[in-house]
Parts: sequence; C-alpha cells; structure tokens
Amino acid sequence: MAIHQNCDGTLRRDFLQLGLRGLMGYGLCDLMRFKAQAAAAAGTLPKNINCIMIWLDGGPSHFETFDPKPGAPAEIRGTFPTVATSVPGVHFSEPVSKLAGVFDKFTVVRSIAHRDPNHGGGNHYMMTGAPTPVPVGCGAFVTFHPSMGSMVSHSRGVQGGLPAYMAMPSNTRSGGPNFLGGQHAPFIIPGGPNAKSFRVNDVVLPADIAEGRVQSRRHLREALDRMQRSNDKLVEDPAVEFDRFYEQGFDLVSSARAQEAFDISREDPKVRERYGRNDMGQRFLLARRLVEVGVSWVTVNWGGWDHHNEIETAYKGDSLKSLDQGVSALLTDLDERGLLDTTLVLLLGEFGRTPKINERGGRDHWPHAMSVLMAGAGIPGGQIVGATDARGYYASENVYRPEDFAASIYTKMGIDPHQHLETTAGRPVQLVNDGRLIRELFV
Amino acid sequence: MNYFSHIRPAAASLVLFLTGTGGHGAEAPVPGSLPPETAAVTGILLEPAVLRVEAGRSLTFLVTARLADGFEADITSPAVVTLSDPDKASAGEPGVIHGKAPGTVILTAVHGLHRVEVPVEVLPSSGEPPSFVGDVLPILGKSGCNAGACHAKADGQNGLRLTIFSFDPQSDYRNIVDGARGRRVFPADPPESLLLLKATQSVPHEGGARFERGSEAWHTLVSWIGSGMTWQNAGEPALASVSVLPSTRRYRKGAVQRLVVKAHYTDGSVRDVTALAQFESNNKEAAIVSEDGRITAGPSSGQAVVVARFMGMVGGSQVLVPEDRLLPAGDYQSLPVHNFVDELSWKHFQQLGLLPSGLCSDSEFLRRATLDTLGVLPAPEEAAGFLADPDPDKRIKAVERLLQHPAWADHQAAKWADLLRPNPDRAGVKSVYLLDQWLRESFRHNKPFDQLVREIVVAQGNTHRFGPAVIYRDRREPEDLTTMFSQVFLGVRLDCARCHHHPNEKWSQEDFYRMAAFFGPLKQKGGGISAPISGGNETFFVSAGRPLKHPVTGEVMQPKPPDGPAPTVVEGQDPRRALADWMLHPDNPFFARAMANRLWASFFGRGLVDPVDDFRLSNPPSHPALLDALAAELVRVKFDGKALARTILQSRLYQLSSRPNATNAADTRHFSRAYRRRLGAETMADAIADITGVPTKYPGLPEGSRAVQAWTYKIDSRTMDAFGRPNSSSDCPCERNLKPSIGQALHLMNSEVLQGKLSSRETASRVQRLAASTLPPSAVVSELYLACYGRLPDEEESCVATAAFTGDPAGRRQAIEDILWALLNSAEFVFNH
Repeated sequence: MAIHQNCDGTLRRDFLQLGLRGLMGYGLCDLMRFKAQAAAAAGTLPKNINCIMIWLDGGPSHFETFDPKPGAPAEIRGTFPTVATSVPGVHFSEPVSKLAGVFDKFTVVRSIAHRDPNHGGGNHYMMTGAPTPVPVGCGAFVTFHPSMGSMVSHSRGVQGGLPAYMAMPSNTRSGGPNFLGGQHAPFIIPGGPNAKSFRVNDVVLPADIAEGRVQSRRHLREALDRMQRSNDKLVEDPAVEFDRFYEQGFDLVSSARAQEAFDISREDPKVRERYGRNDMGQRFLLARRLVEVGVSWVTVNWGGWDHHNEIETAYKGDSLKSLDQGVSALLTDLDERGLLDTTLVLLLGEFGRTPKINERGGRDHWPHAMSVLMAGAGIPGGQIVGATDARGYYASENVYRPEDFAASIYTKMGIDPHQHLETTAGRPVQLVNDGRLIRELFV
Repeated sequence: MNYFSHIRPAAASLVLFLTGTGGHGAEAPVPGSLPPETAAVTGILLEPAVLRVEAGRSLTFLVTARLADGFEADITSPAVVTLSDPDKASAGEPGVIHGKAPGTVILTAVHGLHRVEVPVEVLPSSGEPPSFVGDVLPILGKSGCNAGACHAKADGQNGLRLTIFSFDPQSDYRNIVDGARGRRVFPADPPESLLLLKATQSVPHEGGARFERGSEAWHTLVSWIGSGMTWQNAGEPALASVSVLPSTRRYRKGAVQRLVVKAHYTDGSVRDVTALAQFESNNKEAAIVSEDGRITAGPSSGQAVVVARFMGMVGGSQVLVPEDRLLPAGDYQSLPVHNFVDELSWKHFQQLGLLPSGLCSDSEFLRRATLDTLGVLPAPEEAAGFLADPDPDKRIKAVERLLQHPAWADHQAAKWADLLRPNPDRAGVKSVYLLDQWLRESFRHNKPFDQLVREIVVAQGNTHRFGPAVIYRDRREPEDLTTMFSQVFLGVRLDCARCHHHPNEKWSQEDFYRMAAFFGPLKQKGGGISAPISGGNETFFVSAGRPLKHPVTGEVMQPKPPDGPAPTVVEGQDPRRALADWMLHPDNPFFARAMANRLWASFFGRGLVDPVDDFRLSNPPSHPALLDALAAELVRVKFDGKALARTILQSRLYQLSSRPNATNAADTRHFSRAYRRRLGAETMADAIADITGVPTKYPGLPEGSRAVQAWTYKIDSRTMDAFGRPNSSSDCPCERNLKPSIGQALHLMNSEVLQGKLSSRETASRVQRLAASTLPPSAVVSELYLACYGRLPDEEESCVATAAFTGDPAGRRQAIEDILWALLNSAEFVFNH
C-alpha cells in the first residue's frame, strides 16, 4: 500500500490510514508534526513549483567556483583570481565570472557537508537525501531510496501526458525511483540538442509521420482496439489504466504548445546563442522549455567533474565556459520570463574537492564542504548561506546535511519531507530522515 | 471444549426481566443486539473454555451465539453477565472480568432463552511486583513508544531512544531507568515520573497522550516505578506462544467480532493480553480491526487473517466472509475437472460464492500459454494451424509442444536471473555472464529445483569457472546470503530479523544469525570486488573459523535453520551441506511451497501467496489447500518444474477467460478468472522484433540474440527500460514493474525504434514482404492479426482494416504500416489476457 497516491498532497484518507497504522510505525508524533509543517508551508509557497537540477557528476571544486580562498596558501587557493559579484563584498572565482554578474538571482549554500567520499555513495546521498546503508564504491550506480525527481513524479503524477520527471542525456547514478516503481523512473532524452537533427524521442511524432497520418492511425487504432474493458473498479483491469495513458499520450502529441516546446529549433536564435551553442547550454534551454509546459522535474546530468589532475587546465577549458554561460543565461532567461518564481534551479555535484592541490595538479574528493547554487521558488538572490573555514576545509557556519538539503527541496516542491512511505517489502520508510529546513531559503 | 447451553425453562423469568417481552416464541431478540435479519439463535457458548485469572488482573471472554444458518455471532455485549461472588471477581465493561480474591465463582451469561454457566478460577496474586520484561515492555509496545517513527528512530526522539520492536530490552531498560540522568523515573513519587507525565501528556509530548492517568497501563507503570523498577522477577517464565480466539470463523458482511488474545508462558501459565496486543488485518477489504481488537467483516467478501502481536510473538484469527448469496451446489458439479487444481478450486469457489469465468477461446489459450511458458507470441502459422485443428485434445498437445520447445530454458532462466543476477559493475562481466550461462544450461536440462538449489547452496570454486560461485562473490557476507536464500528458496523474509524481531512473524534475530552461521566458514581468496570493472576472479572454499555472533548479546551462534533442528556439524566440514539437506528434504515445510508458488505465479501473474517471497501467518495463501497440493505434487515429481508446469497448464483453471462474470468481478486473488497482465520487458522487445520481422541488435550480445538472452540488465534498450525491466543499480535488481505507464504508451506510439521497424526495407521485414506481395488486403490483415493477437480478425475488424487500403498501390505500404501500428498500440497486444 502506497500512502500517497494523489497529486495534491495529503487527503483525509491518508490521515485515517496513518491513524489506523499508528502502531505499525506511523506514530502520532509524526502526524502532528506533519500537520503543522503542511500548514506552515501551504501558507507561504506557491503551488506547482518545477525544478531544473543541473548535476555535475564527479564533484565540482568549491574553490574554483563559489567559495574561493584568496587568503589561503598557494597550494590551497590555486591560481585563479577572484571576481567581484553583483553583491558588494562577495567574491567568486574567475571560472564563474558570468554567474558572479547575476548573483542577484541566486543563493549559494557554502556549508553543505557529509561524510561519503565515494562517487557512488555521495551521489546517492545528495540525490535522495539518504546515505547508503552500506559503503558504496566510486564506480557504483546504486539506489536504495527514491530520488527527489522520482518522488516528485510519484507525488504529482502524469499531467497532460507529460512524464513528471525527465533527465538529459541520461539518468544520474542514483536518480531512479527505487521502491516507488518503474513508472517513476525519469523519462530520458538522449542525444545532443545542439545538433540540427536533434529530436526529443517518444513525446513527438517520428520524423517521417505527417500530422494527417497521425489522425488516421489514431482512428484506426480506436476502431481496432476492441478488447473488452471492465470499468468496474473492483476488477482492477489494467487495460483501463492503459487507456488513460493513451488518451494522455494523444493529448500530448496533439498539443501544439507541448510539441512546440520539444522543438528547440523554434527558439529564437539569439536566445540559443545566449545559452551557448553547445549540447549542455542547449540542454539548459530545453529544460526551460520543458518546465514551461509543465514538466515538474528536469535533471541535466553532466559527467566529467572528477578533476584529480590538472584542475587549472580543466577549469580554464570549455566545460567551465559552457557551464558559466549556460547557467547564467538560464537564470536570466527564467527571470525575464517571470518563471523564476515558480522554477527551482539547483546546481551541484556529490561533494566538493580537497583543499590541497595534489602533486598531479588536481583536487581529490572532499565531502566535508561543498557549494550548492540554489535559485528561484522564493529563494533570495545575492545570498551566501553558511561558510567554510578560512582554508576551505570544513563547513563551519550554519552547517547543513544532505538531509536538510532534501527536506528543503521537498518543501519547496510542496511535498512533505517527513512523510512515511512503504517499501515493496512493507517496511515503513521516512522520505527524509530528520531533515530540517535550510531556513535561509524560506525568508 | 465449548460449553453449550440448553434451553432451560427456568430461565424464562429472567429473560422476561431482561427483554421486557414475553417468554414465548422461539426467539425473543434483545433490542439493539443482533440485526433483525439475523437467523435464529440455536445456542450460545462462552470462550475461552477455561477461565482462569490472577487476583488483580483482568480477563476477557466472548459470548457467542450459534445461528440457525450455520454462522456465529458475537453477543458479548448484549448478553447479560453475572458473577456468583462479586467479592472474588467482578464484571467490568462487556467481556471483561476483574479477578479480586482467590476462589471459584460462576459466570452466567444469558441471551434470550439461552443461558450458559462457566466456572471462573481466581488464582492468588503472585505478589511479585511488575517487571520491565513482563509488564512494562508490552505497554511501551502497545502505546507505540517503540514504533519506528517515534522513539525507535535511529537517533530516538527528543532524547529518549528505544529499540524497534524491543529487540534490545536491556538497552531500553537503561535508557528509561538511567537515561536523561534518571529524570524519567521518580520512585519517590512515581506519578511525577517524566515517563508518565509525557505518556499522559501532562507535560507537552510531541507524540500526544498515549494512555490516561488512572488507566491500567498507568497503574502498572506507577507500581513498577514505585516497587523499584524490577528488570525481571526471579523465575519469571518466558513467553512461549500467543493464541487468538476465535481462531477461525465465517462472518456475514458487517458482523463485528471481539478477539481474545492469550499469551502462553514456558511454565504453562496463560495470561490474557488482549489489552496489550497489537492488531492488524492483512486484507482490509474483507476485514478491518480496531486497536482494541474488534474485527468488522467486509465490505467485500473474501478471506483475511487478523494478526495479534505481543512481544515478538504472533497469533492469528482467520476470517472468511462469503458472498451474500452462495450458489447452489449444482452449479459446481457440472464444472469440468481436468486435475486436482480444478477439483480444489471449485470447492474453494463454492465456499466463497464465486463461479469461475468461462473457458477462454482457443486463440487466447494458445497466446497465453505460449507467453507464459516461452515468453514469446505464437507464430502466425502456428496460431492458424492450432485454430484450424479439429482435434478435441489440441490444447493438451499444444502444452506438450510448448514444454519441449527450446525457448523454455531461456524464459525460465531469465526469471531466475531476476532473483540471482548481480550487477556486473560490482561482480564483474565475466562472472555475471558465467552465472547467466549456468542458469540457462540448467533449464535446458530441466534440472530439478532441488538439484539447482543444492548446487547454489553448497557452491565452491572459482568465479571465472563455476557460475553458482558468483552468487558468493556478489553476496559476500553471511548476512546477505541469509537474506537472499531465505527469501528466494524458503519464501520467508528473514531479513527483517537481521536488525529486529520480524514485526509480523515469529522470526527473531537468533533465527537470522543462526542461519547466517552456516555461511561463516566460507572463505575466499583472489581478486575481490573493485567496481566498476571488478574484472578479477576469486575462489570460494570452506575452512573452519569466522564464528557468527548475535549482534545484541554477542553470543557465538551455532548453525540452525529457521524452524528446523540444529544439525551436527563436524569441524572443518561444510555446514552448508546440512542446510541444503534440511532445505531440500521432501518434508521441508518451506521449499516445495515456495517453488510451487513461484511457478504458479509465473503462469497466473500472482502467487497463491503474494508477494511470492513473503510467506507468513499474516500473509496466508489465498487457497491453502491448493498450495499444499501443488507442493505435494512437486515433491512427487521430484522437483521437476516442467512436470508441475504441465499440471498447471492443463488445468481448466488456467484456461479460464479473463472476462468476469456476475459473481467474480471483485475476485483479484482466488483465480476464478484469468487476470490480465502486461507483457514483460524482454517479452515485449522480442515480440516487437518478431512481429515486425526486424530484429534489434543488442550491444554486448552476439548477432541475432533476443532480448530474453541478455545476460545483464545494463544492455542498452529503451523498449526494455520503458517496460519495466529491473534496474541494475538497485540492490538487489530483482524488482520488476508490470504497471502500465505513460512512458510505455508514448514509446509504442512514437518511438523511432518502432517506427524504424515498421518502415524498414529489409527483406525480412514483415511490412516490406507484405507490401511487396500481391496478397489481397484481407489476407494481409489476417496475417497481421495472427502475428499480434494469435487470432483471425472477425468480419467487422477485417472490414475496418481493409478500408485503410485505398487501392492506390503507393498507399499499400502505408496502410500496412498503419494497421500494424494500430495493433501494436492496442490493449489486446500489450496484455496477456
């Protein structure tokens, strides 16, 4: 039994079930807290926030981005100069100087920390809010707990034929649904949207199918799909649910607005330029187009941020340029379109990097401090939350854990982070275990 | 033994007094007691048969009316109860007696003209103070203090940390008595103890009031604190079992029944723990149960088990709610019986008031049987031949052909791979491949289940040479092996008992770690796990050492199977042999049932026990006698899976239509109709390739390989992703999703992969061949129908489909593509029905 099947939060029935199951682990204590939080959150948050999560797999350096340490010794501070941001007194590192110029649009949390120095485990922790129950190695792709995107899909369901959770160009390591079920796995959009031939798969018609033919196919199908359905709910006929998805699928294909959104070539060339004519920049742009038509959660998965060697060269390279340009364009564009209020933007990886540059000129894994960019959905602009110590070793002020991060994201998305779900084995599981809100995001 | 009453004329005056009606007539129901339509009461009885209570404690009992229609009704509340000596025992709220002073009193219950008398023995109070183990923990449990969401969270709640389901009572004791610098208990003035102030919400408590000041729980805790917080009294007996009354009963919808829960201790004493037990129903459609143990039957007919849990032990009350109107026996006598599956099923349906759906059509049968047995669709010519065959035994013959088909091995092996297959990132490509090949080879030779499982359970050797050894490379710790083997081979989720007592079963941590002890002496040498390549190999062997310890007590565990006898294991020998001997013995209560149930589920879409790996008192088989018979049959045929599959396939039950009738629409677990199931991921991918005639090339597989032959879930395939193959990142990757989703609909509608197969110009492509042929449109349509549905179109369908052919030769190909697209996007294709 899944407790939350509905798209609009908790129903009375859920409360009744919680009451009945009180002895099985859904305690009254949580029920009361749940009510209190739901009431508090409902008053302040706009409904139907969508999220774009840009995931830098491998772990970006906090030193070379949002938390430079110009006063630290050379082997720590590296070679990049700092740049002033649009907020007096706050400096970023040179590789993100375009983002520094639009700092008025986002918050940087400099004090998220955890203890898992492996890619597999760190990915899981940040992507789900739950640490792995056993140590997980660096090469691993693991899932022990639903990802935030899958949970949003579970909570909101399919709207207008659109899968609620999409990922480009591939799923993240721990971005799966786990016990929520395969229908909440992300809808993957592979391929490079910068290419002329790029098309979003499955949600748009195949290239050689003209629109008139779609109609005739649809009529043909309706006439030939004659297996008798049992609409009596008691029968639990899966063909009835199947029909519902087909209706939505046809709606999606025949919705001019949705189809236009998928077709990135219809975007103003100037806007495309602004995001950067590379696949990542264009993925950010496509992500904006997707949330515009109502996709709830879009993850852009970007690998290759594990710079154990030559970090200076890497951060002078194209990746950083694309990132800096693309993300700042995304934030500006969302803001200009009035979408930033209802779009949450996240930029992070699984951890930060070691303070001391190693003998290969790189930085290694460092979960004790990382910087996370968060914007939109009521998050203040120009704000730094927390701090690391003078040499960037440890988060030292207003330290937050991945649980707090996840609880804050869920709350922004209108999902109670402390609700209980049941695994397929019937075990009650808390969505986020004891996470507290990052209060600076809720001012 | 029950105490039945006889109608006693002497009671008439009392009845007159009670009911205010005349003493005449057969029945004079007490107002407000039984619904007016209730059948006549033929007698009343009192349960439990023996009433014994310690002075100072309470006892619950039931008064039950036997009705003329064969049902029983709980009349504890309306019945008038008196006790002969109120100084020795007094009646409290309905169904409760308080013991006061030693001696024997007579309890009299009267209902209408019926009367029953039973002696109640009041035993002297033991004089012992309440103990933590015997009295306090049950209260904490019932009050929900040690629920996973409250104080049994990993870090406790607001400073108080208890262990979940009391798996470590000593730690709980310390935390309550010594924790928070002793503030929780205040022996000088027990009611002022923080523990009680919080629990009664006399001070703010996030968890609210758990019991009231002055309640029995409150008194017990006050007395426990006041008497010095005894851990355990000297000679205090241990809990041996829990039983529930009534143990089994049939109910009318809406009937209410109280339960009585008794705890049986090692010294033979019995305690009434109804007020301390926690209740749960496994089927809330057929029965719900309140916190104080009252069952309400319905709203639907069916079976349920209401479990009462007390201090790690469970007892159950079986609930059977038949349809309002049972059908005449004659309806069942005329049903054909192919074998014991049908014989038992019809009997079962008769009890439940269900009538099986009619026989499925020949085309439905062939399609269903081929999908379930081989994971493929019948080829068009095969389907056409079968439909045209006038032989009355053609279904039996088809079953034989299917069972001899080489695709059997791949399809069955793929099912087992779901249970055993590691993630190649973790265990290494070669290792995973070897295990996969071993499984396929095993099913090619129809290796009996006991032999297959024995080879796994006692596997040794190198992971680059011997497939089953790879399971040990993946499941490296004895605890992981215990979890996997108990779940896969015994159908028992022992894993819960790894960290705490199983919440719904008797399994304790001792059971778990004694099973784990079988794997202690297994050692390995060689290249261990090194994700993401893990290319090394290692060798597993047995040598003495590595004792398994109980995580709470630290005691070294001797190997013993759950619910089985401890074997004698000679030092240096492989204890796993003893485990295999126990597990695979024909009398083993778990193995044959678990295997039969799994096989059943692969043909019916759900198990008799479902989920198939979760056998427990609170999740009983939907039809216990049938599962027993299937298990016995599997033992009889020496664990030959093909032989049991034959029995299943040949049964009439398997061949029922999926269309419900007037009696069985709500039946989703007794198999009185076939249940529609979506095609699985590999089956769907292969079916699309077969129907279009355009195979998919899979990276990492030889040319011409089918999806079902993939040795890992990591092989790139959007179709298989959409249709819910297991996620290889999961631990374990064993969950398959059979739900419809928007992704599936969109994939079939729009995917370039499918469109590419429809528009393919390859010579083997079905569309290409048909488009290039001179076959008339009706023949083209017939072939497409046979390929997708395993049947011919009826006249109307043929008419609609052939109308897509405009007569323009240029449009012929497009018409064929569009018809095939429409069929592939229809429910009749997507579902096995």
